[in-house]
Order: sequence, then structure tokens, then C-alpha cells
Amino acid sequence: MMGKPEKLIVDGKRLDGRGPDELRPLKIEAGVLKRADGSAYVEMGKNKVLAAVYGPRELHPRHLQQPDTAILRCRYNMAPFSVDDRKRPGPDRRSVEISKVIREAFEPVVFTKLYPRSGIDVFIEILQADAGTRTAGINAAAVALADAGVPMRDLVSSVAVGKVDDTIVLDLTKDEDNYGTTDMPIAMLPRKKVITLLQMDGHFTPEEFERAIEMAMKGCEQIYEAQKQALKAKYETKPEEG
Amino acid sequence: MYELVSTVKRDYIVDLARQDKRADARALDQYREVSVETGLIENAQGSALVKMGNTQVLAGVKIQRGEPFPDTPNSGVLMVNAELRPIASPTFELGPPDENSIELARVVDRGIRESETIDLDKLSITPGEEVWMVYIDLHALDYDGNLIDAASLAAVAALWNVKKPHVEGWTLEEFPVVKKPVAVTIAKIDGKLMVDPSLDEQNVMDARLTITTIEDDSICAMQKGGIGYLTVEEIKAACELARIKAAELRKHLG
Amino acid sequence: MLYAQNREVVIPGQLIAEGSHSVYGGAFKEGNRVYSSVIGLMSVRGQDISVIPLGGRYMPRRGDVVIGVVMDSHHSGWILDLNSPYVGNLFVSDLEGRKVDLDKEDISQFLSMGDVVMAEIRDVDERMRVLLDAYGPGMGKIRGGKMVEISSAKVPRVIGKKGSMATVLQSTSGCKIKVGQNGRIMIWGDDQRMVNAVVEALLMIEREAHTSGLTDRVKQFLEKMKSEGK
Repeated sequence: MMGKPEKLIVDGKRLDGRGPDELRPLKIEAGVLKRADGSAYVEMGKNKVLAAVYGPRELHPRHLQQPDTAILRCRYNMAPFSVDDRKRPGPDRRSVEISKVIREAFEPVVFTKLYPRSGIDVFIEILQADAGTRTAGINAAAVALADAGVPMRDLVSSVAVGKVDDTIVLDLTKDEDNYGTTDMPIAMLPRKKVITLLQMDGHFTPEEFERAIEMAMKGCEQIYEAQKQALKAKYETKPEEG
Repeated sequence: MYELVSTVKRDYIVDLARQDKRADARALDQYREVSVETGLIENAQGSALVKMGNTQVLAGVKIQRGEPFPDTPNSGVLMVNAELRPIASPTFELGPPDENSIELARVVDRGIRESETIDLDKLSITPGEEVWMVYIDLHALDYDGNLIDAASLAAVAALWNVKKPHVEGWTLEEFPVVKKPVAVTIAKIDGKLMVDPSLDEQNVMDARLTITTIEDDSICAMQKGGIGYLTVEEIKAACELARIKAAELRKHLG
Repeated sequence: MLYAQNREVVIPGQLIAEGSHSVYGGAFKEGNRVYSSVIGLMSVRGQDISVIPLGGRYMPRRGDVVIGVVMDSHHSGWILDLNSPYVGNLFVSDLEGRKVDLDKEDISQFLSMGDVVMAEIRDVDERMRVLLDAYGPGMGKIRGGKMVEISSAKVPRVIGKKGSMATVLQSTSGCKIKVGQNGRIMIWGDDQRMVNAVVEALLMIEREAHTSGLTDRVKQFLEKMKSEGK
């Protein structure tokens, strides 16, 4: 692992050549798995993330069932080979927290009341990590939920902003996350432009925070376009000739 | 991993087997479409994604420093782990590895270890103190039967993908992988043997036999699974079948 | 004011209309604006707007004919898996169409675990408890045949307008089919090739349900398969 570079931004360009408000290359594909009811594969920069949705389905154990609503469950997991230092399999405290905040990012949009006593399970697997995995996971999970036919008020789009060399930047890489001062992932409902996930660690002045959240929301709008395209692309295939 | 199979489905598959046929119109000795893609996970020293029909398994190889086992102080260490997570199937549950993921990991491990696919003696750094650890992590992504063959192929393809690992302090030339073991799983349904069981066939079969062979056709690992039994004739026939199919699958390893 | 065309693919949260519309399935209203809640086909009929889902799990409805699989039993009946978040309850008297004396008759003689049953949904309550009837003509235990499962959202396409697609499937292939609203379909035929051809055709319908000219394409495909077999 290289030591801290002297400067993370040179002449307005970041280490990977991006401007401060540019997203990493983004790829989204819907319906990539057969067993799952809905699925999506997302690449954000070097992040490679797979999301699958099962449900609505019977909820076990039965004592978890709610009489008038579906229970939304989310599990975020990193594959052992997804990171530099191999991660031991199994949930750690970080994964448990991330699973919770991701679930809460979707609670406001899923029409859970339409499916009493059932469960809707979202599984996010990080196959390769390069900072921003929870945001990539949310972007994939939103597409997977739509792909599964789960009714929602909106999609959810997510990206992180941070601060490196006193500059607010969008969609941090691992180096920027490690060597910068601030990391703030957000998730937004694109239609109403309301926030359903917000975490921050580091340092922002109130003015910096306002600029950061504005930049993040613009980033989310771009991601939303890609999510829309991915969903529609599944139905744009030409019918096969007899 | 219990799956409810309807009597209609069971009868259908058994009836077809009696006529030497299969539900997806394959021949008894025919694999589903197989594809192997390597090098997709940069953070891993080697990786491979294998698709066998709808079954998908991703294998990642991580190479790190570690302590040798006390009884082999001058050898590197091989560890194989399998994750059968609910993303891949409604029948997989969260929690510590169950008997299926443990069996899968150990069968894949056996094929690689017993055939001496990795020259572990070359992986010593400081004898008795520090050696290279080779972790193979198998991640099931989509389950439609026959994880063993898909996972084995992915593991070996990932090992051959390593080449010169980007790890600090790597002193050797190339990563010492020298063999290509291939696992072939054969299911028995109503006395008929068929390769590469689909999920439906697995849920209906009497028993299965996995045979792992290397390039010179010698057998390095075997595993019988399922609640039924196999006759000696069936086992011999399976070995012959495995020998032929392993050679075909091996072509995917380049 | 419409923001999407009839039969256009729309996604959750997409604004599809504004004004005094009546909204049915797959869409919801906020104030005067209508949004899609699922990925589906926009459907406009006069002032009525709905979105026809292109996916999603089967939700049991009264009157639907479904194909269930016995997954559990109790002393007076069985629980059927309906390929849905909700299971079906079948009491022995609703299978046999008569009162059964549970002291004298052992219900295990009628159905076993894994048996496949064609049934009609008699009732669904607000807790999604489903009651089944399986004693009418064409109902009851299913024997033989090949079962296919497709997305229940595509079943209307398998049946077609006034049964047109189902007719094409059966008459062109020479096979007999029975369709459950829950996405399960039974196929019977003497010619194994044609049974497999019907499976292919059903998967084609599932993939291309949102396109037009599908009935003709399915007919052409099955005719081609039939002539190749000769």
C-alpha cells in the first residue's frame, strides 16, 4: 500500500484524473441472477457489487411476522477476496451497521403495507471494494427491488462526498477516503429530492456541508439516470425472429 | 437445503431417465453450457467466475503471509472456504457454514491438495516462522445445481490466474501452480448415471458421486453424496465417464 | 395530462399523468399527480390509468384458478405452496366435495406431500388467509405431465385475448395445457419434442410478453418445431 501522496488534487484534477464533481465510471445491469426474484450488478469505479431481492415471501420464523405489513430485511456482506487484506467470512460490526442504514434508506419507499405477514429480503454482496461500497450497494438494491416487481414510491440513488486537500469531492476512491478528512455517504429519493441515508465522519463547516450535499444530490441525479436506463434496457431487446 | 419437489416433477424426471432422457433435453453425458472468466477481481491475487448453466460461482485467491502449521514448518498453507449465502438461493440461510458449504469447501480442497496442484514447499518465507498462505474463497452467486463442479473449476482457474502475485515481498518467479484437477459430479436417478445434475435432478436423485482427476487421468479425490447407494459397477462406470468429461472441462482452463 | 404513452415501459416513481384520473393497480396518486409504483406497461383507458406489472410475485385473488403443491398437512386438510408469499388452505371436504367423517376416514389417502393440485381460490381475507376449493370439474389432484413455472405477471399473455394464445399453444403443438394464475402451467403430450417445444414457447412468452406480434411468432415457432420433427 503506497504512503500518503503529497497532494490529492493537482491543478484541479484528482489522482485518477477526475474533476471534483465527477462520478467514477458507472455500469448497471438489471436481472443478472436466475434464482432471485430481482437482481442487479453495479460497478462504481473499481467497486463491483451484486444485489439480489427475494420476496415478498413467507417470513420465517413466524414470530417475526407483522399482521398488516411486510418486513424489509437487508444484509450487506463483503466477500473475503473483495479487499486488500482478506476479510474473514461472517458479519462484523461494520456490516451490521451498514445493513441497518441501507434498510432504513429503503423503508420510506417500499409499499410494505401491500404484503401483510410477509418478508422482503435484500442481499448485497461486495465482490470488489474501493470505497463507497454501501452507496454502490444501495444503487444495486434499488434496481434489484424494481426488477423483482416490489412496488415502490421511487428508486433510491446514493453516492458519497468528502473533502480532500480542502476541496469538496464527489464519489471518493479508497485513497481519497483514507487520506482525506471527511466522508459523507448519502442516499436520495430522486423524485422528491429527500434524503433517506446520511452518515458523516470528519470535518465540515456549515457552508462546506451545504456545498457537499448539493454536489452529492447532483451526483445522485446522474446515478438515477443510469438506474432508469438499466431497468428499461431489459425490455428494449428486440423479439427473436421465429 | 431442503427443497419441496412436487410429485409431478419427480415422476417426470424419473420417467425421462428411464428413457435415457433429461428434462432440459441434454444427453446423459452432457454438461450444461460452461464459461470461465478470469481476473475480474483486482483485489484478489487470482479470480475466476464459472457459469455452468444457471449456476454461478466466483472464486477468489488471496495470498498473504502467515504462520505455518507446526507439522509442516517449511510449507505454505492452503485454505479453502465456501460461502453459500442466501443471495444465491432461497434455500441458503445466513449463519455459520452449514454441512453443505463445509462439504463443498472440503471436496474442492481435497481435489487441489491431494493432487499437489500447488507446490506448497516453494511457499516458505522464513522456515518454521513465516510462510505464504493461499486462501481460496468460493462465493456462490446463483444456485441451479452442481456447485461442486462449478466451484472446483473456479478454484483451479483462479489459481492459474495468479501468475505473479502483486503482494509485498513476493520473492518467487511465478506462483507455483502445476496441475489442473477437474471435478466431475455424476448423479444417479433410477439406475441411470448423468453428469452435471441440474437443481431439479439433484433434488430427485438417489445419490451422486464426484470424481476429481488430473491430466494423467489419475484420480485424486472422490466423494459420494445423497441418501441412496451406488453399486460397484456404477462407480466404475462413473469413473470412466468422469475421466472423459474432465478432459473436456479442462479445456476451459486454457 | 399524460406523461407516458399507452404500453410504454415505466419504472417505479416515474410521473405518468396529472389531473383527474382514476388510478388502479401498479400506480399511486400524490395530490393530482399519478406515479408508477412498479416496472410495467402504462395502461390508459379513458380516465382510468394503471400500470401492468412486468414482474412481481403472485398475490392470491378470489376466483383465480391456481396450481398448488402440498407442503404440509393437518388433521382436516393440507397447506399448499402457491408460489406466492401466501399459502393456500385446502380442507378435505373442499377436495372431495362432501362432508368427510374424520373419525372414520384417513385423509392421507387423498393427498400426499408433494402432490400437485388444481384449485380455485374461494376466499382471501384481509390477513391473506387463502381458502381453496378443489372439487369442481378439472380440479383436484394432477397426475403426470410436465410443470413449468413462469412469472405470474405473464400469465395473461399465455392465455391471450379470449384464450387466443392458449389455443395456439395447444392446437399447434398437439399438447394439452392447464394454466394456473399463479404462474404454474401443466403440459401433457405424447411427443416429448413437442412438450419441450411448448416449454420453449412459454419461456419465449415470458421474455417477450411486453412486445406485439407475439402470438404469430409463437405459432411460427411451434409449426417449425413440428415440421422439423417429421
